[in-house]
Amino acid sequence: MSQPLVQAPQARSWRDIPQPVKPRAMSREGRWRLWSSLARVLTIVVVVIGVAWGVGLVVAALQENPQNMPAAARTVPVKNFLLKTNAEGVLDAAWLRPALALPKGATLMELDLQQLRARLLADGQVSVVNITRSFPDTLEVRIVERAPVARLHAQFGNGDERTLLVARDGVVFAGTGFEAARLDELPWLAGVKLARTGGQFAPIAGMNFVADLVAHARLETDQLYAMWQVISLARLQSDREIEVRTKPGTVIVFGTDSDFALQLAKLDYQWEMIAKLPTPPSKINLALGREVPVTFDALPAPSAASASGPVAVPAKPASAPLFSLFPNSQPKTKREL
Amino acid sequence: MSSSTTFIGAVEIGTSKTTVLVGEHSGRELTIIGRGECASRGVIKGSVVDYKAASDCTHAALEQAEREAGERIDLVFLAQTGAHLEGFYNEAAVNVKAADNMIDADDVRTVCDLARSKELPAGRMVVHNIRRPFRVDGRLVPAMPENLVGQRLEVGYWTVHGQEQRLADNIHVIRGFNLEVRELVLASLASGHMVTTPEERQHGVLAIDFGAGTTDFVLYRDGAAHTTGVVTVGGTHLTNDLSIGLRLTEQQAEKLKLRFGRASVVTKDKAEKVWLDGNFAIGDRQFSQQAIEQITAARTWELLEVVKKKLGNAFAPETCASGVVLTGGTAKLGGLAEAAARVFGVPAHLGEPPLWVSENLRDPGYHTALGLLYYGVSAQAEKSTGTRRRGGFLSGMKRLFANA
Repeated sequence: MSQPLVQAPQARSWRDIPQPVKPRAMSREGRWRLWSSLARVLTIVVVVIGVAWGVGLVVAALQENPQNMPAAARTVPVKNFLLKTNAEGVLDAAWLRPALALPKGATLMELDLQQLRARLLADGQVSVVNITRSFPDTLEVRIVERAPVARLHAQFGNGDERTLLVARDGVVFAGTGFEAARLDELPWLAGVKLARTGGQFAPIAGMNFVADLVAHARLETDQLYAMWQVISLARLQSDREIEVRTKPGTVIVFGTDSDFALQLAKLDYQWEMIAKLPTPPSKINLALGREVPVTFDALPAPSAASASGPVAVPAKPASAPLFSLFPNSQPKTKREL
Repeated sequence: MSSSTTFIGAVEIGTSKTTVLVGEHSGRELTIIGRGECASRGVIKGSVVDYKAASDCTHAALEQAEREAGERIDLVFLAQTGAHLEGFYNEAAVNVKAADNMIDADDVRTVCDLARSKELPAGRMVVHNIRRPFRVDGRLVPAMPENLVGQRLEVGYWTVHGQEQRLADNIHVIRGFNLEVRELVLASLASGHMVTTPEERQHGVLAIDFGAGTTDFVLYRDGAAHTTGVVTVGGTHLTNDLSIGLRLTEQQAEKLKLRFGRASVVTKDKAEKVWLDGNFAIGDRQFSQQAIEQITAARTWELLEVVKKKLGNAFAPETCASGVVLTGGTAKLGGLAEAAARVFGVPAHLGEPPLWVSENLRDPGYHTALGLLYYGVSAQAEKSTGTRRRGGFLSGMKRLFANA
């Protein structure tokens, strides 16, 4: 009923003429006005976004401040714990509850988040903690865990013995939630002394070298790494060397001043020849640059030695390098060595 | 400055000069705060023929006006003239559909849509739809006829249309300054609105705007514009006639026209001479005063006759009781009012803007730009009132129930 009875066609009006013109049809003043008006619009948009962001910050701050929260929010006890960890993390909610040690019936607003954060960080396995109140009754915890690089057999004064884990940054931690198979793959760490600072173990220096060495070994020579048993840092400070003892008893010396990948490549090449010998060498030193001395406790049997050319050269006294990986290389001076 | 304040630019791109006035419109009152002028280039008889030249001078005038106003123009009301503008009248009638014969908004809308529905030839576009008063059963109703009782509702529209390309050229000149053209107003309507009073328009009045390249006219009857038109003859033609008749350059002819030109011959003595410059310098010449008057009067008389002929039956002395009002830059020609009175047979006088217009804007050359501002603001106010009416709460409820 409210519609007109007749739908009359309407003639085109001047308002149907499209008004926008291309910038090239504009004068210099017109173009300047166009850009300045665009800049003005852009400025307004930026200001609006900035104001909205500021309001968001204020709201977030109000949520964080217990004084400004409604009383109802303060009286709800915490019921849920939400734990989010990094991709390689193994900790779970079962670990979280006792680690937080919340008093019974505590509400979100009663919690001291800084204190809770400190409690979680007391476990060396946790490197980063972020705790958020999610109203009405959920405590959201985001953590980043440390990955173990090596394990450590510690003996305490009271006779207790424990296996501890060491991370790349040298932090020593008990290691919760790791599978036994994963821990068995880790080499033992030797040649270090544990010191306590403030109820915790002080970080072990030089673990970054160990982490790099292990990472390269796992990636490039995994069959050799499988034989590694103990990594010693005893000579790290004095000679800048890391000693690795394998299951057959061979000690492999790595230098921290040269590339681990290159040293591992030399080892891999050399190990092909060594594997054919009846007796494993007692020491392989990769820390001397191009020269790689291989030391045997006893000379290999002639029949086995005849199979490989370099070993067949004149006999050397025991405990001296038997052959060099690069026999034609120029002799090095004492200083180079 | 309040957020509701709008800075409106009234732009008249004329043949001899481009005029820009800046008005500060605060919703209830309009104050003129800036003016810019520039000698026109690239415009012939109201049409843009050289886009670059027309843009340059228009933009220069806009810049000058903005500088004087100290504000940036938000939107533009643009005057429109030229030979391409034409008009026609179309009317429609509907039977009132309510059982009690009370006219409602739908009846009004229907009859208005019908009266405006005439199709235009290709390439033509509507510039104005000027509504004439409603008639209810033959009875004249100057206001809206809603809630009046009658069986037959009639209305007519004077539709002014123009060539699309010419209209677009004018609009693009303004858009080249990155300004929106909010209203396109016929130059005759703008100047006529300024120099006539509502009472004169009610009694019937003819307003003629003598420009440099065109002469625009509007005939008002019963308080509304009845007929409009454009004659592509103006002050430059008088200058041209003098230049040819007296063998002068255009600048010399223009000087003589302004000093001695008249629309009627009053000099009886053929020997009466006038000096071209009057400074007795070498090259200064004497001309017959009577010859000058005869040349300008002949062309003016002819121009007025053309206007009368174009009006045709629409003009009659008895329906134009308030006479003829003259405006525009060429209206300053001496004796023009007398000539118009003799041609049209009604009293004629030089149009004066309202008293509140400041002294420096009272020159007839500014009447169109002034009228643009006031006519444009009135048109905008009418539109917004109409929009509010349609969007009212009761209307909304009515539509809701009707749809249900």
